Amino acid sequence: MSYHFGGGRSRAAPYVYLAPALFLYILFSLGPSLATAVFSLTDATGLPGLPINWVGLENYHEFLFLGAASQENWATIFRTFLFSFLVSAIQFTLGLFVAVILSQKLRGTKFFRTIIFLPVILGVTIQGLMWTLFLYPLGGPMASLFGLFGIQPEFLGGASMEPFMWVAIVQIWANLGITMVIFLAGLATIPTEVYEAARIDGAGRWQVFREVTWPLLTPAVNTNLVLTIIGSLQAWQLFLVLTGYRPTTTVLGYLVYATGFGATGGSTVVSLRQGYAAAASIVLFVIVLLIGMTAQYLLRRREARLLG
Amino acid sequence: MNTTMPSDGSVPARDAVIPRRGPDWGRLAAYAILILITIAYLGPMLMLVLTAFKTLPEFTKDATALPTSISLDNFFEAWDKANFPRYLLNTVIYTIASTVVFVVSGTFLALAIARRFVRGAGPLFTLFLIALFLPAALIPQFQLILRLGLYNNPIGYIMLFVVNPIGIVILVNYIRTIPIELDEAAAIEGCGYLRYVISIVLPLASPAIATVAVLHAIGIWNELILATIYLTSADFYPITRGLIVFNGVYGNDWPLLAAAVLMMALPMVVFFVIAQRWIIGGVTAGAVKG
Repeated sequence: MSYHFGGGRSRAAPYVYLAPALFLYILFSLGPSLATAVFSLTDATGLPGLPINWVGLENYHEFLFLGAASQENWATIFRTFLFSFLVSAIQFTLGLFVAVILSQKLRGTKFFRTIIFLPVILGVTIQGLMWTLFLYPLGGPMASLFGLFGIQPEFLGGASMEPFMWVAIVQIWANLGITMVIFLAGLATIPTEVYEAARIDGAGRWQVFREVTWPLLTPAVNTNLVLTIIGSLQAWQLFLVLTGYRPTTTVLGYLVYATGFGATGGSTVVSLRQGYAAAASIVLFVIVLLIGMTAQYLLRRREARLLG
Repeated sequence: MNTTMPSDGSVPARDAVIPRRGPDWGRLAAYAILILITIAYLGPMLMLVLTAFKTLPEFTKDATALPTSISLDNFFEAWDKANFPRYLLNTVIYTIASTVVFVVSGTFLALAIARRFVRGAGPLFTLFLIALFLPAALIPQFQLILRLGLYNNPIGYIMLFVVNPIGIVILVNYIRTIPIELDEAAAIEGCGYLRYVISIVLPLASPAIATVAVLHAIGIWNELILATIYLTSADFYPITRGLIVFNGVYGNDWPLLAAAVLMMALPMVVFFVIAQRWIIGGVTAGAVKG
């Protein structure tokens, strides 16, 4: 830096003004985040003032390998993968499709963009309650619709996989808007001349998409894939609003919350096993890290190949 | 003209061979998809509105029928029973307080990183970039707040939202695009650091600051989990927690519940219509970092 502000003393000014934000970040976010690894090696509970003891890797051993509970945990890990796969695959594809349609000069595109994005703003509480009503089993709209075909689903009150699927649907519905606007921003960067050139060369719609749009959309594709995969691996809050804690329906993020704070949450109780919950959240972290890094690596390689 | 961009992947080969003859099937397919989308997105909202205007017997008899008369009774009843004014006030306080602290402190931090005013600006930036991948802070954060005596305390709750790594990343990336010549001119003028920030950085970075503030505020407004963990007194509940509690008590009275949900959704809908540009700008700006 070849310039500085004010007199000699003000060289320190940027450090001084930066300090509060850095302090708050380390104290309330980064520090606790890293300390999760430390807590996972203890028997910490939800009560203040109680001694915390080291237990080594016991929490991990119990979570992954001990008895019937660990088998349930593996089932939960599997459901987390399934949820993430379903949600990211559908949200990505549908988001791309909708963005391609809405980037064209059709009437009312702004209206569609608005209604698709709106749930993002409303948050999980309103999203969840809205869909609980929409899926009202006693003659609600979806029940009536399925009734036309003679099907009587139980929706959120059904056996483990049916509510799971409905939560996945609501998750996609709620976040499609984010995927869509990122694709729309990507599509807006592709110059129209490129399309014109392709059409003059006699390319049809599908060819234009494959040869022009798809490769030029690479940055938005990468962003959306990473965001939807990581986001859906960590997502669980809609489960809380839509189904409540049900061990046979839940995903890993909710398991962490329920073991750490109780299924209904918000109490300081000795039986709450926060050390164990911390271990579970490190397991989730490792999964997110491995999958996220692999995806980043593969997508970067693809980007380098496509765009040089 | 990009009106004939791909829109229907299901009939690729045919479409490519016959570019333009007869009805435009691609366009029709696009509209068909949009109609389905409309049903999926407006359906739940419409159901909410219809239910809010019904009486409970009407709803029980036929959940999807139109209300027989327009009555606002449910809204008045929910307003009283849901303790709505109190929750709304709490949410507003939490949202404004945290957002102000974050935006003010965050702008100084982002500026110092973007302009490399401090040693180690690069590694410092990395600290914020990796946040997306880090484990949830949930449990140690809880232990920290407990030990600070800030459990079930509005101040403690506000402190949970005074940082936002993605917001910092957006700000840094934006400030980097502001020409550096202005900085140099200000420095030559002998301008002090604080005056430089207020009179030069703030006006130039205001689009990014507005975007980050809006995104951050929406996050706090909608926060449910931390409110459930940290606030146990009903007096401190924000509207999200209030709604869930209300749902627990009046869960069977859907007309009443629907009125409450609708009232609590309304401020966000209005806000979205006003601030749509910044919100969407923020989502896409945050995504560019890759």
